[in-house]
Amino acid sequence: MIEPLIAIFKIVVFPGLAFITLLGLVYEWIDRKAVARFQNRIGPLYAGPRGFLQPLADFLKLMAKEDIVPTWADKLLFNAVPLFAVTIPTLASLYIPITGYPVLPPFEGDLVLVVALTTFFTITAFIAGLASTNRFSTIGAERAALQLLGFEIPMFISVASAAMAAGSLSITVIAERQFLPFALLQPLGFAVYLIALQAELERVPFDIPEAESEIVAGWLTEFSGKKLAFLRLSADIRLVLGAALATAIFLGGGSGPVLPPIVWFLIKSIAIVIVSAMLRALFARLRIDQMVRGAWKYLLPLSMLQLLMTKILLLVVV
Amino acid sequence: MPTYKLPIGPQHPAIKEAFHFTFELDGEVVVDVKPRLGNVHRGIEKGMELRSWNQGTFLVERICGICNTPHTTCYALTVEELYGVEAPPRAQYIRTIINELNRIHSHLLWIGILGMELGFWSYFMYVWRDRERVMDVVEMITGNRVTTSAIIIGGVAYDIPPHMEGTIRRAMDFLEERTKFYKQVLENEPTIRARTENVGVLNKSRARDLCAVGPVARASDLKTDVRFDEPYCSYGEVPFNLITYPYCDVYARALVRADETLESIEIVRQCLDKMPSGPIKLRLPRAPPPGEAVNRVEAPRGELMHYCKSDGKEKPYRFKARTPTLANIPALCEMLKGYYIADIPAIIASIDPCYCCTERLLFVDINTGKKWVWTYDELKRYSLKWNEKNGGRRR
Repeated sequence: MIEPLIAIFKIVVFPGLAFITLLGLVYEWIDRKAVARFQNRIGPLYAGPRGFLQPLADFLKLMAKEDIVPTWADKLLFNAVPLFAVTIPTLASLYIPITGYPVLPPFEGDLVLVVALTTFFTITAFIAGLASTNRFSTIGAERAALQLLGFEIPMFISVASAAMAAGSLSITVIAERQFLPFALLQPLGFAVYLIALQAELERVPFDIPEAESEIVAGWLTEFSGKKLAFLRLSADIRLVLGAALATAIFLGGGSGPVLPPIVWFLIKSIAIVIVSAMLRALFARLRIDQMVRGAWKYLLPLSMLQLLMTKILLLVVV
Repeated sequence: MPTYKLPIGPQHPAIKEAFHFTFELDGEVVVDVKPRLGNVHRGIEKGMELRSWNQGTFLVERICGICNTPHTTCYALTVEELYGVEAPPRAQYIRTIINELNRIHSHLLWIGILGMELGFWSYFMYVWRDRERVMDVVEMITGNRVTTSAIIIGGVAYDIPPHMEGTIRRAMDFLEERTKFYKQVLENEPTIRARTENVGVLNKSRARDLCAVGPVARASDLKTDVRFDEPYCSYGEVPFNLITYPYCDVYARALVRADETLESIEIVRQCLDKMPSGPIKLRLPRAPPPGEAVNRVEAPRGELMHYCKSDGKEKPYRFKARTPTLANIPALCEMLKGYYIADIPAIIASIDPCYCCTERLLFVDINTGKKWVWTYDELKRYSLKWNEKNGGRRR
């Protein structure tokens, strides 16, 4: 009787849905505060201690706002997009061993599932842009799809070289088999992953699909009220997912001395969030053609090189 | 591939003021652009005719928020020409200083805006933080940060007493150091260069044909600057360099503005060194004698022109302003063609547009392409006739 209850508690509360949502809001706060410090600003300040509750306040405020559906929008797709946008990254993050063991039982190949789900998200963004029938949204959707062509393959290859080194396609196993974090053994792959992560999260210098000064808000333009709140939440959860995946695959997951795995996991993933915030503060936005060209010219060869080096290393050592 | 139209403005994050562009696009490439003015027409030229000459100083200042000082300077110079007098030398120096402080703040503002248009928010935040220093100096001298009301007909309203000199010099040293740093960032930051180099190219002959003015012309290697060509105030007495760059792109426009900021800092220092003593304003009769006068001033955005006609009464008979943004719009449309949507904000920003200065009543017949401007009387006659014909009702 008690076992199913514990399983449900795990999925719904800790370390499942509620925890991941909470983590998303906390990471957004950390990200905003960090970027503000890099830009010599103060950042959120009023809601809660040091503005800690600002992301939650923003979310609740948006939930209370008027929800507008454009007359010419494809209603079904338009309404479905925010749900998919939150569900997909949340589902993916259930496979990441945040407490040392994932919420859903791991299996050989869950890494492939998780990276495939991240691609699905971009397709959701593309559908969102097309369903809004707004010219800015359409351009944003087109850019999101083009950007996917740029960052997806290098990201997968950098993840694949880690999987090859660990000899497994399960995130949990990869995290466990790192006697030394892969970030040190595979610095190139780690760097490629971090850069591609900026593109996946649509953050500067790759915030091209949402480029504010060019196309208003890109594929998000027509969303308002509850839908926008959910899309913002989705961005937070994707930040958690990206940071957590990097922690599990390149930083050895929750392994570390003295402290319990979850604390180590959070420390490491917060470090990834801060690095991502720093990248966000350091650059100007690239143009879509520059982004795709740069990805194919530099990111892809670098990730291939990493794969090759890993293979040679394995042949030599084993 | 068929083209489609993308409306940008009157409300759009890239454009801080109400202005409308219709872009014709082929995929992500701009094929054609049609600008449309008229969203913020305020009737200032008519308003000038309803106010006395002195009150006009304060209305003319409000044509543009950012480059308000060149407007008052130009108006004061024009009216002084009608009177046939010149402001005292000390007033001329103070005018020069306030104009250059205005240029520093306007150019730094623009450099920050460039960062923002490129999505480089950190650059924007840092530049605008340091720009506060020059605003503080302006506030110390005139009591206001932006709309200073410092320049009046026959002189200036505020003196620069000796005890302010140290503060101004310290602020100039600080700004010089920071501007040099920001110029370095412009030159060395790869993402900024990738987004601005070879973008919005306007070559020298096209710039001359389309009558580009100010930093846009100077970035296309045209040596044009009213401060040089026809020195007013005390520009003839303080040597400075005319900045030109041969690259003709957005990057060159950014460099021109960064270098001009450094030159302005140098001009302020020289003016403080050479400042003569004496009165700062003249007492003038209430109305200038009948006549007309036209004057040019180099505003931060380019050549600014004011025209005044007096019939000897207390109010101007006619006032007309030609602002630099209006002069740069044809050049802007030329620059935009053939570039990506992503380049639009940077290119539009590169002329440092100020639309509220620019608004005019201009009619364009779409079918024939004929353009004409109506006087108020003609417009009134037309509207009466139209009302008669249509029974006073809109269709």
